[in-house]
Formats: sequence, structure tokens, C-alpha cells
Amino acid sequence: MSKDYREPQAFVLDEAMPGKTRLATRSKARGPALEFEIEPALPELLPPLAMAAAAPRQRFRWLAVLVSAAFGLIVMGATLSIIQLVESFFVRSPYLGWLTLSLAGLLAIAALAMIVREVAGLLRLNKIEALQEKSSRAINLDEGQSADSALAELESLYANRPDMNWHLGQFKSHRDDILDPRDRMRLAERHLMEPLDVMAHKIIARRARRVTLLTTVTPAAALDILFVATQNFGMLREIAALYGGKPSTLATFKLARMVVAHLAIAGGLSLSDSFIQHFIGKGLLGKLSARFGEGAVNGILTARIGLATSALCRPIPRQTATRETLTSLLREVFNFGSDASKPKDISKMNPEPQD
Amino acid sequence: MRFSDFIDGGRIAAGGLQDFATGLFHPTLRLGVTGLSRSGKTVFITALVHALLKGARMPMFEAHAKGRITRCYLEPQPNDDLPRFAYEEHLAALTGENRHWPEGTKRISQLRLTFEYEPQGFLARRFHSGKLHVDIVDYPGEWLLDLPLMTQSYQQWSSATIAMAKKPPRLTHAAPWLELLKNIKSNDPQNEMKALEIATGFTAYLARCRESDVSLSTLPPGRFLMPGDLAGSPLLSFAPLDLSDGEILAPNSLAAIMARRYDSYVLKVVKPFFHSHFSRLDRQIVMVDVLSSLNAGAAAVADLQQALNEVLSCFRIGENSLLSELFGRRVERLLFAATKADQLHHTDHDQLENILRTLIETTTHSAEASGARHDVAALASIRSTREAKVTQKGQEIPCIVGTPMAGEQIGKTVFDGEKEAAVFPGDLPKQASAALDGQAEGKLHFVRFRPPANIGESFPHIRLDRAIEFLLGDRFA
Repeated sequence: MSKDYREPQAFVLDEAMPGKTRLATRSKARGPALEFEIEPALPELLPPLAMAAAAPRQRFRWLAVLVSAAFGLIVMGATLSIIQLVESFFVRSPYLGWLTLSLAGLLAIAALAMIVREVAGLLRLNKIEALQEKSSRAINLDEGQSADSALAELESLYANRPDMNWHLGQFKSHRDDILDPRDRMRLAERHLMEPLDVMAHKIIARRARRVTLLTTVTPAAALDILFVATQNFGMLREIAALYGGKPSTLATFKLARMVVAHLAIAGGLSLSDSFIQHFIGKGLLGKLSARFGEGAVNGILTARIGLATSALCRPIPRQTATRETLTSLLREVFNFGSDASKPKDISKMNPEPQD
Repeated sequence: MRFSDFIDGGRIAAGGLQDFATGLFHPTLRLGVTGLSRSGKTVFITALVHALLKGARMPMFEAHAKGRITRCYLEPQPNDDLPRFAYEEHLAALTGENRHWPEGTKRISQLRLTFEYEPQGFLARRFHSGKLHVDIVDYPGEWLLDLPLMTQSYQQWSSATIAMAKKPPRLTHAAPWLELLKNIKSNDPQNEMKALEIATGFTAYLARCRESDVSLSTLPPGRFLMPGDLAGSPLLSFAPLDLSDGEILAPNSLAAIMARRYDSYVLKVVKPFFHSHFSRLDRQIVMVDVLSSLNAGAAAVADLQQALNEVLSCFRIGENSLLSELFGRRVERLLFAATKADQLHHTDHDQLENILRTLIETTTHSAEASGARHDVAALASIRSTREAKVTQKGQEIPCIVGTPMAGEQIGKTVFDGEKEAAVFPGDLPKQASAALDGQAEGKLHFVRFRPPANIGESFPHIRLDRAIEFLLGDRFA
């Protein structure tokens, strides 16, 4: 074992500084580092992400082929008829022909733009999912590398958001501090996620309240299904956009599917919540007014969907921030004076004291 | 169980009841700061208080970072019989003209910090005063080494101490004293001058051990080196004699008088300290200077491990319940800090923490079993260096830049205490056990730096905020 280590040494600064040139290529002079690194004991792991369940091997999907083929045919038919239309207009008058052609071009461009947007939306959703995985890795394993890349992605995600500017600046001011990866993530959570959490909380409360009222007031049962659905989709998009997901239509559907899956998995955990639901819907409130009882149930459902959505869209999985339980939200939903939410808001709104 | 154990239990309970009663009206937290000498206790307390008073940058101390702590100030000394921690003096030493590290802890002292904060809970906001007193208790680490004496008889202690003195790293320092001991038999008649002579020789041996480069940690009884206000008292004029465990001592012999003094040392010095201070702590930070032991070699590291485990076995660790609130509190949070982490590059901090973890393995197991929370952190209460990369022969070397203390040396370079230098102290071993089995010997050299020159508003630090968050954070909920 001769000199497989780096000797302690000192460079007095006046001498070392002039020759201090950084080489772009680093030669690996340290020899093969085949050493076993002891991993510290893992403190409480975050629960695995709900959507990480592996899909079973799928059989060849003939239905998908059928639908795609039919869709292709329809598109081709439409294209053909448009071409014919343009041609017949050219026969009548060149001016009308050019007009139709440009309209057709516009149609093509719009369709293309929509497709691009859909794809981009899906990609963004995937990116957030990946980011979530990376962050939970950084938090659970205290891993420097994944923390660095997760934070870089987070910064680029919120770089163009005027509402995040101040928070991002606050966060960046700690960049040079020596912090453990886990603490770094915690810091990012506090500076970047918690302001967004407050907003998400408000969005959920507002939508849930609206659903409750609409269900109570609408005369027809069929109508309130429609209302609840639109409100929920609206909320989904709003929350996803808030956390940087900015979903398109398809992405919203995908997100909705994920939310349903998340709810199904988390269902076991929220047994107590469904008890509340039962109590409110069929019990006390139901006795007061059947419609209002139903409204309350719908409101609670909306709140729960909102919580699931924010859990899925939040780039850093929740850790220390108390898991927002349904009850804390419900207080806000049904307490229109919103006294109970005050302490929390004050603490969140207070800016960090300047050094 | 001996009768004295009952009495001790009663004393702990009495102290606990008293604390509980005062705690009802003035919530108080007793934070113990402990460590062997030169591990950085004084600097830690000074930096901690300074940071809290000045509202320094502490992103990981949540209550502070979120602005929930509205005010923090030093309160007049609550206990009239305890000296106050000389915060202002130490601060002046650090920031004054000829900046230097403050003098070490010589005796027990205390400082009361009061926080005013915004409680978070619904009930707390209405009924809680939003005030928390934190008593920081500082005492010399040497005194801690006395705690194991409470369970040892004079004979046991004698044979153990002499056996240790005859082992290699200490033998050279112990030789004159062992020579002295050869002429003494345990049943010699009592003789005050003789007793004094042996005690002086013994103290000199302990002092030599501590002064030596082989930084030896286990040196009880602690008051011999840190007499505090006991200097010259007959309580300190005893020494181990060559006895076997369980030997019956002849009455009026030299050994008998030594044994009597040993017993009163335990009774009058060790136990009062244990009951009135040590057993009433809520939170504890144990500062460990791993780096200087690594500097001295594997023997010193093993010695440190032994000392740590002896000290830590005296802690009353565990979760507090209502019953323990009433009858003697337990330490519910225990932080092990590998201090002076600014003497190496932050990429090695994980390794440093791993080494410390290995050293205290047995204690952490029992802490886990008892339900107390513990953590290990590489800490620099005051960061005296910056980091840099030096490229040498195409190889990037992670260095630290600071002003090494005068007389420090690395390779052939001797520092004058004025010039700044970039220092590469060597890579910490990837495997923590390498620190104990001597593989790392000679490959590491840590240099002590002077306190930072231009600090601005508050001292720079490494993970001081994380330490505070761990120790106090939950009380601001």
C-alpha cells in the first residue's frame, strides 16, 4: 500500500494562487476506488409514491388498433375532402382558392400546435413525476447527487414564474451554505413548496365550497353531476398549473386517472375520513337538509380529490410539513369566517427575516 | 441495590419535582453542553448565543427562519449559586484585536436565554405565554469522567487505573509515578506527607498525559486536572495504590485513608454535581473532537471511544412521560457533534459523521431502545475557513483556506499565524473502522485555524442551525 492516498499538504496562498489554473480535463490519478462505503442507517422512509405500481404485462390491444385505424381513416377522409374542396374553389376562382388554401393551412397549423401542446403537457407531467422520485430519493437516502439535480430542475421549473421570483431568490441565497442533501431539500420545500401549498389549500377550499353550494342549490340530480365534474377538472388543472405542471387536455385526463388510482390506494388510510363523511352525509347534516347533506359529501369528495392532486403534482413529496388532513381542510371549507386558518396563514406569509 | 441508591433516587425525584413545579409557570429547558476538554464547548455556547441574539442566518432552524421567534435575549442569572457563563468575555476574545479562541471551561457555569415566540397550535396561541427559557449549562468535560466513579469502590478504581497506566501509550508518562508507588505498600501506616506526595505525583502524571501529543481522554478523577474551587482541598489528596479488587484494607493504614478520601470525593464532589446539574438536563449535546484524536493516531481514537462510552453510560436517556416529568427528567434528545468540521472539506463531512457513529455505537443502541432521539452531525460552531479547489499536476485537490494558528505545521511548512493558506488535510478513510485500526495513521493531518477575521454581523458556521433545530426546535411548535 504505497501512496494510494493523497498526502496532507499545504499551499501558502501567495505562492499557490498564480499557478492555480483549472484544467478542463481531470485525469483520474486516484486509482481504482473500490472501497465499500458504509451507508448510514435510514431514518423513517417516506411512503413510496402511489403511482409507482408496476403495470401487469399487457396483451396486444386490438381495440387500440381498431380505434387508431378508424381515426386514421377519418383524418385521411377529412384531408381528402379538404383537398377536393380547395381544388373546386380554385376551379371557380383563384382568389377563393387561395383563401380556402390558407384556411386549410391555418387548420393544419392549429392542429399541429394542439398536438405539440398536448405532448408538452404530458412531458411536463412526466417530468414532475421523475422530479418527485428524485426528490424522495434525495430525502430518503440523503443522496447529494439526486438532490443537486432535483434542485436544479426545480429552479428551472420556477425560473419564469413572477410569483415565485422572490421565493426563488430567498432559496438561492442559501446555495453556498454547507448543508446536507436532506436539509437542502427541506429548505427547498420551505421556500418553494410551502407558499404554493398555501395557494393550493385555498384553491381546494374554494372549489370544495363551490361544489357544496352548487349541489345544494341545483334542482336536478343530473345537473350536479355535471357541476361536480367540471369543478373537479377545473381544480385539477388549477393545482397542476400551480405546481408547474400546466396540463393540457390529455394530461388532465392522465392526471385524473392518477388521482383516482391514488385515492384508491390511499383509501385505506382515510378510513376515518369516510367515517366523517358518513356521519355528515347521512347523519346530522342529512337530518337537517337532505340536499345540504349531499352537498357536504360532494364537497368532502372534492377536497379529497384536491389533496390527492396536490400530493401528485408537488415536485417534492411531503415530509415534515404536516400532512394536510381532510379535517384541517374541512374546517376551512365549512368555516366561512376562516378563523381557524389564520395562524397557519400568518406563519406562511411571514417573510424570512433578513440577515 | 444499596441504601445509597435509594437516597440518590430520592434526590433525583426531589430535583424533578422542583423543576416540574417551576416549569408549570415558566417553561424551561435545560440544555447540557458536554464534551471532553478542548472539544469546543465554550466556542459552541458563545456562537450559539451570539447567533440567536443577532438573528444570524440559520435556515435550518425552522422557528427562526420562519420568523416565529419574535425576540431572544439574555436573562439575569436564575440560580444565585451558579456562576454565569462569561459570554461577553469569550466574545471579546473571538472578535477582539488579537483574535483567539477563548479559554476553556474551568468550572460549571450557566446562562439563561429567553425566547419569545408565536406558538402555533390553536390552544397554545390562547393559553401559552409564548415564552421559553433555555438554560445552557456548561461544565468541564473532565468532571463527566468522574461519574463512573459513583459505581466503583476505591479498590476497583485503583486496580483499573494502575492497569491502564501500565499500558503502552501511557506508560512513558506514568513511569515516575509508578516508580514512586513501588516503595509504598497498602498497609503502610497513614502519613499525611506521604499521601500528599503520591497524590501530587499522580496529578502530575495525569497532567503529562493531557499535555502530550498523544491526546488521551480517559483521565479520572476529573477534579485533579480541573479543580475548580477545590484547589488544595484534602478532597483531592488521594491516589490509587497497588491494590487488588476487593482487598480488605487495614484500619489506619495509608490505603484506608486514601479510600476514605476517595469515598468523600465521590460523596461530596461527584454526587452533588450529578444531582443538581447533570440529572436534570432535558437536552444534551455531546461535543467530540474526533479530528484531533485522528491527528494523534489510532491509540488516541480508541482512548476517545472508551472515554465517550464511559461518559455516555451515565446519561439518563429516554422519552419523558408524566411520571418522569415529576420524578427526574431524562435526556430525550441527544446530539453528538463532531466539532471543528471546518478543518476539512465538506465532501468529507459524511465520513466524519460515520467515524463518530462508529465510536458511539453502543450508546446509540441503548438510546434507540430507550426511545430518546439522537443524531450525529459534523459541526463547526464558528467556521474559520473557506473552501477552495487547488489544481496540482492535473489533479483537483479539495482544500480549505484559512489562517492557521502560529506554530502549526504541515509537511515542511510552518505557519506564522498571519498568512492565509490553503490546506489539504488528507482524505478521511472511506470505512469508519479504518480510523480505529490504525490504517489511517499518518495519512491525515488537521491544522487548527485562528477565528475568522471579518465576520460582519454574525459568525459563519456549519450546521449550527441544524444542531439548534434538533435540540430545541420541537419546543417552538
